[in-house]
Amino acid sequence: MPLQNPQSVANALGDRRDIEDFLIQEAALLDERQFEEWRDLFADDGRYWVPLRPGQESPDAECSLFYDDRAIMQTRFERLRHPNIHSQNPAHRTCHVIGNVVVDEIDGGRGEVLVKSNMIMTDYRIHVQRVFSGRVTHRLRRTGNGYRIVFKRVDLINCDDALELIAVPF
Amino acid sequence: MRVLVTPRVRMVQSDGHPMLEMLGMKFDAGALHSLVHRERVHRSLYLDPEMFDLEMERIFGSTWIYVGHDSLVPKAGDYITARAGKQPLVMSRHTDGQVYVIFNSCGHRGAVVCNEDKGNAALFRCCYHGWTFKTNGDLDAIAMRRGYGESFDVSNPALGMRRAPHVVNYRGFVFASLAGNVPSLEEHLGPAKDSIDELVDRAPDGEIDLGGGVHKYVFRGNWKLQLENSVDMYHVPFSHESSVSRSGRQFSRGEGQKGGSAISDRGGAAQRWEQRVAWGARSNGHGYAGHQPVAEEMPDTPTFRAYVAALEARHGKERTQEILRPKRHNTAFYPNMTLQALNQHVRVIVPIAVDRTEVHVYPIRFKGAPKDMNDGFVRHLNLTHSAASLIQTDDLECFRRCQEGLSAQNSDWVWFARGVDTDKEDEHGDYVNHGTVETQQRAQYAAWLHLMSAGE
Repeated sequence: MPLQNPQSVANALGDRRDIEDFLIQEAALLDERQFEEWRDLFADDGRYWVPLRPGQESPDAECSLFYDDRAIMQTRFERLRHPNIHSQNPAHRTCHVIGNVVVDEIDGGRGEVLVKSNMIMTDYRIHVQRVFSGRVTHRLRRTGNGYRIVFKRVDLINCDDALELIAVPF
Repeated sequence: MRVLVTPRVRMVQSDGHPMLEMLGMKFDAGALHSLVHRERVHRSLYLDPEMFDLEMERIFGSTWIYVGHDSLVPKAGDYITARAGKQPLVMSRHTDGQVYVIFNSCGHRGAVVCNEDKGNAALFRCCYHGWTFKTNGDLDAIAMRRGYGESFDVSNPALGMRRAPHVVNYRGFVFASLAGNVPSLEEHLGPAKDSIDELVDRAPDGEIDLGGGVHKYVFRGNWKLQLENSVDMYHVPFSHESSVSRSGRQFSRGEGQKGGSAISDRGGAAQRWEQRVAWGARSNGHGYAGHQPVAEEMPDTPTFRAYVAALEARHGKERTQEILRPKRHNTAFYPNMTLQALNQHVRVIVPIAVDRTEVHVYPIRFKGAPKDMNDGFVRHLNLTHSAASLIQTDDLECFRRCQEGLSAQNSDWVWFARGVDTDKEDEHGDYVNHGTVETQQRAQYAAWLHLMSAGE
C-alpha cells in the first residue's frame, strides 16, 4: 500500500518496536542454527562485518573477524552443514540477548533506517562457556516483505583479543 | 570453565632403558636424547610444564627468533610489543631511523614500560616512578635524580631498557637473539631465506607491508602443534574435509580465480600433492613445503594485469615470469614464524603455557601493487585465517583434541615416521623429500634436541 506523506513514511520506517522485533527474530535464527534463513534477511548487496580493532574504519585496509557478503555466507554455511566439520562435532550452542535498541537515523528517501543496539551472545561447547558482547549497527531497508539488512556491523568489546575458534555469527 | 590440568608424566620404559621419572628430573642431554628419536618424540614434550619452561629458556632464549616486521613501525617513535618466550620485548623505530629490539622492563623496579600492543612515543615512561627511556632503550632521565646522590652511576646500562644482544633486519623481517653467541642470521636461515626473498620480490616496489591489521587466535594446546601443522601437507584432505565442496575443490582464495585447491586423498589431486618438494633443516628446524597446484593458476583480471605490468617495469618480462612462478607454499622459520605464499601472511607463534598458545596472523600487502589486489589479500585472509575462518578453525580443533588426547596412556610417543625411509640429505646435511611426508617435522625435532641439549 503506498504511503501518503513523508511523515507517515518515516513513522512506518522507524517504528522502534517493529525494529526491535526484527532484531530479536534475526538473533533467534542464529541461535536455532537456521543459517540460510538468516542469510536471506540480508539484501542482495548486504554485508556482515565484525572488525578486529575498536574504531576500525575499513574492511579493505585492515583484516576482520568476519566480512561476509551473501556469497561468502553461502560458503560458510555449506561448510557448517558438512557432516565432517570437526569443529562442530559437537556444535556450538549460542544464546543472543538484544537490547538498548535505538533508531538513530531515518532516511525516508532511500527507505532505510540506521539502528544501534547492544548484543550479548554466550556460546557453549565441550565444557567451555564464553561471553561475547558488543555494540551493533544495522542499516535496514524496508521492502514489501519487511526489513532487509543492508549492513550489519558488530563491534565486540574484546575484538582485538586472541580468540578461540568461532563458528556462529554474532 | 574447565581448567586443564597437565597430568603427571608416567613412568616410561623406552627402548629397554631404565624408567624415567620426568617430574623433578634433571633434563640432562642423555635424558633428552631418550625422548626424541628420528621418527617419534615423547608425549611429555607436549605435556610437561617444566619442559615448557626449559624450552622458553633454551630455544626462545637462545636461537634467532622473529620479533616483528619493520613496516609495523614506519615512523620514529613507533613501537610494538612482542615476546621472546616469557620475556617481554619492545620493537621500536628510534630517531636515528633504525629498528631496535629492547627488553620491555624498567631498569629500576622492573615494571613493563610499554603496555599496549602498539603505539608511538617520544620517550618511554615507566608508570611506577616516572623513569624515562629513549626509544632505543637508553635511560633518558631518573625522576627526582638528586635523591640518589653522586655515587649512583646513571651510565650503568642495566638501568635502561636493555637491547637484545643480536638484532638483524632482513628485508623488513626483524630477528633477534637473546644469547651471547649465535651464528650470523644469514647462516642460521640458510635456504629458508629464499622464502623471504621470493615473497618480497613479488612486491613491485620490492617491499612488503604488514600494516593491514592482525588476526589473533588462541588454542588450548602446545606451541609445537602449530609449528608442525604449518608445514604438514598430510592433514589437508582430512582436517579440512569440510572446506572441500562436491566439486572436489575448496573455495576460491583470490579475486579472479576459478576455484580453490583440488583436495583429495586419492586420484590425480592426491598425486599432484605428492610431487611437491619437502625440505627440513636438521641443524636449525626450518622447513618448507612446495607450492600448492592451485598457485599455478594466475588470475586473468585487469587488476592482475596491472600488477604484472608494474613488476615488468621494474624487472623486465623474463625475471617477472620467474618471480611469479610459484615455488613454496609454507615455510616454517623455527621456532616462531611461518610465511605462507598462497594465503599471503606472516604468522607468529606465541607460547603462553605448555597447553596454551597464541598465534598472530598478519596479511602481507605488496608495496606498489594495485590497491584492489592488496585489499583482496586482506579480505581473503579473513576467510582462511581469522578465528572465525573456514580453514584455520579446523586446525584449531585438531590442536585442542591433540592436547587432550596426548594425556591418554595408550602410547608414550607421537610419530613422525611418514617418509623416513625416503628422506635424502642435501649438501648441507638437511632433509629433502617429496609430497605429504613428515620430513619437516623430523627436522624440527632434530633442531629441538640440538638446542635443548645445547649440542651435547
